[in-house]
Amino acid sequence: MKRKITYTFIYIILTIAAFISVFPFYWMIVGSTNKSVDVNKGKLTFGTHFLTNFKNLVNNYNLGEVLWNSIQVSFFVVVFSLIVSSMAGYGFEMYKSKGRNYVYGAVLLTMMIPFAALMVPVFKLMSFFNLIDSLWGVILPMIPSVFLIFFFRQNFQQYPKEIIMAARVDGASELRIFFSIVMPSMKATYAAGAIYAFLTSWNAYLQPLVIIQTQKNRTMSLFIANLASGYQPDFGLVMTAVVIATLPTLILFFALQKHFVQGILGSVKQ
Amino acid sequence: MANGFEKSRNKWGWVFISLSIIFIGLFIFYPLIYSLYLSFFSTKGAMKNFVGFGNYKRLFQDNYFILSVKNILVILVIQVPIMLFLALIFAFLLNDPKLKFKGVFRTALFLPAVSSLIAYSVVFKMMFSSEGLINNMLMKMHIIKEPIRWLLDPFWSKVTLIIAMTWRWTGYNMMLYLAGLQNIPQEIYEAAEIDGAGKVAQFFKITIPLLKPIILFTTILSTIGTLQLFDEPMMLAAGVTTGSSVGPGNSLLTPSVYIYNVSFKYVPNFGYASAISYMIVIISVILSLIQFKVAGEEK
Amino acid sequence: MKKRFSVFMLVVLFLGIVNAAGLSGKITIWCWDPNFNVAIMEEAAARYTKINPNAQIEIVSMAKEDVEQKLNTILASGVKKGLPEIVLIEDYNAKKYLESYPGAFADLTKHFNYDEFAPYKLEFMTIKDKVYGVPFDSGVAGWFYRRDYFEQAGIDPSKLDNITMDEYIELGKIVKEKTGKYMQAGDPYDGGLMRTLLQCAGTWYFDEKGQPNFVNNPAMVEAVNVYKKMADSGISKEVTGWNEWVAAFNGGEVASVITGVWIIGSIKAEPSQSGKWGVLPVPRLNVQGAVNASNLGGSSWYVLQNSENRDLAIDFLKEIYAKDVDFYQKILIDRGAIGTWLPAQKGEAYVAPDPFFGNQKIYVDFAKWMEMIPPVDYGIYTYEADAAIMGIMPDVYSGKLSVVEALKRAEEQCKNLIGL
Repeated sequence: MKRKITYTFIYIILTIAAFISVFPFYWMIVGSTNKSVDVNKGKLTFGTHFLTNFKNLVNNYNLGEVLWNSIQVSFFVVVFSLIVSSMAGYGFEMYKSKGRNYVYGAVLLTMMIPFAALMVPVFKLMSFFNLIDSLWGVILPMIPSVFLIFFFRQNFQQYPKEIIMAARVDGASELRIFFSIVMPSMKATYAAGAIYAFLTSWNAYLQPLVIIQTQKNRTMSLFIANLASGYQPDFGLVMTAVVIATLPTLILFFALQKHFVQGILGSVKQ
Repeated sequence: MANGFEKSRNKWGWVFISLSIIFIGLFIFYPLIYSLYLSFFSTKGAMKNFVGFGNYKRLFQDNYFILSVKNILVILVIQVPIMLFLALIFAFLLNDPKLKFKGVFRTALFLPAVSSLIAYSVVFKMMFSSEGLINNMLMKMHIIKEPIRWLLDPFWSKVTLIIAMTWRWTGYNMMLYLAGLQNIPQEIYEAAEIDGAGKVAQFFKITIPLLKPIILFTTILSTIGTLQLFDEPMMLAAGVTTGSSVGPGNSLLTPSVYIYNVSFKYVPNFGYASAISYMIVIISVILSLIQFKVAGEEK
Repeated sequence: MKKRFSVFMLVVLFLGIVNAAGLSGKITIWCWDPNFNVAIMEEAAARYTKINPNAQIEIVSMAKEDVEQKLNTILASGVKKGLPEIVLIEDYNAKKYLESYPGAFADLTKHFNYDEFAPYKLEFMTIKDKVYGVPFDSGVAGWFYRRDYFEQAGIDPSKLDNITMDEYIELGKIVKEKTGKYMQAGDPYDGGLMRTLLQCAGTWYFDEKGQPNFVNNPAMVEAVNVYKKMADSGISKEVTGWNEWVAAFNGGEVASVITGVWIIGSIKAEPSQSGKWGVLPVPRLNVQGAVNASNLGGSSWYVLQNSENRDLAIDFLKEIYAKDVDFYQKILIDRGAIGTWLPAQKGEAYVAPDPFFGNQKIYVDFAKWMEMIPPVDYGIYTYEADAAIMGIMPDVYSGKLSVVEALKRAEEQCKNLIGL
């Protein structure tokens, strides 16, 4: 009997927490179906304006172009960031040395730097490479991810060293061991890393803001920030854009959720 | 064979990390060194004046910088523990193998962590307006009689920020704890249950001690995140025409927002902004060391 | 006939060559409001490309903070590539950019006849007798009021064109008592009203030397008093952020709004209120020399000296913003934008009665008030000063600090922020 009460209590707590977590999403979606005035009033029920808002975004604001830019940025950041960070994590973990441990410490320390402090030098650097106003100018600085290096290193700790040894005995080169043996067997880790890299690049704001100069190259976050500013922002439109921007992350998360949980698992095993 | 490898081992180590070192060197270390150099100048846009440690001295007399540090310390002391504690509880509850709908709850609770910072801040600002959703609901439920001045009062605006951040990040930390809990064999809990230990006792006697390393890890991550807090206060504090102060009485002013204002809103002084950034890095390092120390001693 | 044709061809050719030789290329423009200055620039671009088909114009729309941030980044890094030809800068900010980046902006003194622009717009874009900008929209302030609510409260608007803020607050109490509506809505920590009040008194946060001047500035003391009285009287619905503010008057919750003329678009966004609005001159601050006219916001165009097609950009601004009367009519009708190029204000659209405002000829009134705005040098530290004074307001509202004490502290804080 006591147990039953305990569980009822647990279910109530979790239901309330789940409701609070999901509610703002619900409200956001409702907002995308309403007019600006209704969003302002905090209307809680669905309206009929979604198509109007959506068409407005597509026809007047070139939503397709903006989405395509964001997709490109995220795609390349995810791919390169995973390769570069996982190699580094592997290198730090599998070939431990004093020198590299110092480097690792220095790398971890950079996590503590606010990006606002790096904006001007990064801009200068990008103009040196002639990458101002190009998507590559947004992509390249986002490739090094300290968190991902850390994350991969933690995960590689679990990797059975015997497999690597055996491969070496068979005469496989170090790079080959990594790319064709280790990498394919760590799907969950890479999935979790991919979600992380996607979330950071998809939602990035300051970075593209500094680099992108023209309309045709802007990303989703820049677009939303622009929509929400000005003398007469249309909040129905803003909400619609926010929903469209959130959708890909939701889809990706649901698709990879299983691996994601496993990947996170690996990162915190001691 | 193995000996031959030992010789080339060092070489391969560098090969694997080389790509990331190039990227980090270019896009983090170089800008970092450049901004360290800048921090010894007082700049006004394109004009530079060497001031030595002048900027660093100025920091200690700058009330707004001190206020910004105080503001985030409040968040650190209140929001981070609340959030981590909630995350621990949820993780603990969801770790129970007898619980039904685990996947649904887990997904729902994690969902906030995938929302973009800008988007969720905008949504929260609307929900917490004086006549917004939250006040309406609370009044309908007769919890309050007068609307709460969420973003109009220095105290409540901090509460709003704390609520918003807790919403956004609890699920994320919960996920990390859940992962950590997979390492604790269920038998321990079963044994405890047979011994008559209730849920509460299990939580404090088993879960918390065994998760200690991850708790430390999340504490450090949250500390760093809080010290760099930018998007949320920026969006929540946007005013009617200008957003003159960052929240009522600058109650939402954080060092990162201040860095931004000093660089871009006020007369641009990148030198001073760099000095502020370095101070934040130093504070981050010190706090992390303290946290390591505290966790280490309790062991 | 044939001969005439060939002469015609020659002329066309000749013009074509002149254009191609001197003025062709691409103009990039940065501005921020899709419904306002961006749309207006698009109109201007369409007009110019008709005159000069060799010009290509790209308008980049960003958030306002983002324009400022990018401009700072690009100018501070000293990069010459990728500069836009034209940027829109808010008037309060202009001098800051001009002084922080000497040589970055083109000197336009010779290119425009500045007598044709509203004088108050020139004050902040002039450094050492050189003018660096093309004045654009006016932030001339008005007191927008609801005719129906005022009538219900028994207030006669015709007697209100010369009142002080104190009287305004008293009226607000009457409105609240009789109609249950707030007199206005506002963010108690926003410096917009403060700046409107200071400018109507012909002063600013600083003295002639550019030093913060809070405590010994009677206008500032009075303005803080107004903020405090307003809060105490309860006539102002407290809001945070733009959308709540707009919602307050679109939703019919307030009887009036004191702000810049650019708000007209937002007011008209609620068509059901057509005919119910009117506009009065702003109440003045109760100090010596204050007038019933002021300004809030407004912005101007600037040309970057090192941009690729600078001369083309200057020609563009000249042809449209200092020549095209019809353009100004169009942006007034379409966007409610009041330009500050005075010859445009003789146009038809300016004298037309506006049914939304009860057939009041509002633009005639605004044009009149615009000329009365006391010119003020905003200096370069307006936002620092704003932050300093607004940061201390909670203590003023709670009574923890007296107005004078608060101003003393704010002045110190302002010096602190400036780095004095």
